[in-house]
Amino acid sequence: MFNIEEIQKVLPQRYPFLMIDRVVELEPGKKITAIKNVSINEGFFEGHFPGKPILPGVLIIEAMAQASIILFYAQKEPSVDKKMIYYLGSTKVKFLHPVFPGDQLKIVVEAVKILSTAAIVSATAFVQDKEVARGEIGFSAKEEV
Amino acid sequence: MPDLENEIRNLIAEIIEKEPGEISSDAKFFGDLGVDSMMALEIMAAIEKKYKIAIPEEKLTQLTTLRETVAVAEEFLKSRGQNV
Repeated sequence: MFNIEEIQKVLPQRYPFLMIDRVVELEPGKKITAIKNVSINEGFFEGHFPGKPILPGVLIIEAMAQASIILFYAQKEPSVDKKMIYYLGSTKVKFLHPVFPGDQLKIVVEAVKILSTAAIVSATAFVQDKEVARGEIGFSAKEEV
Repeated sequence: MPDLENEIRNLIAEIIEKEPGEISSDAKFFGDLGVDSMMALEIMAAIEKKYKIAIPEEKLTQLTTLRETVAVAEEFLKSRGQNV
């Protein structure tokens, strides 16, 4: 639905911090499903952990937050095209299973409350059909000065 | 409606990590209780979820004290046509 070129028009993050590869489903204002492919080539695996690569939980939160930004952006007026900066405000996330190189992370984010400058969402991450993390994220958006 | 006020007090206490006893009816969220805008949004979302109501965005700035918050909740509970 959203390929990587379109994702990069919405998300300000770039290498090595772009944590969404594709959007597979989007209901503006309601729900988004996005994919992050986890590859051994990613640099942080060298240290997390040496000889035992595990995707850091904070990066699962980051992937959830980035999917949330796309969901937030999608329900705005199309004419509003100013550059935005996003600030993470709160997170409450549980990690249920480790994620390894080769896994495909499916992130499902549902809106709890979306305002014009902030949002609260609930997010769940799956590998295949197994839930690996879930929680709630709050963030605000400000126009870049 | 003291019950509604108590329920909302407990709900706010959990979000802002204070004891319910610290949240008097007129304590100012921002000045007295250290509430920030993200917590205010969390309070709004929690009330919507608990009472199954939808509070419009412009009401967010009215959530300044427990008393005001209860008044906003009551307004939308009434317009939903239900007693609490």
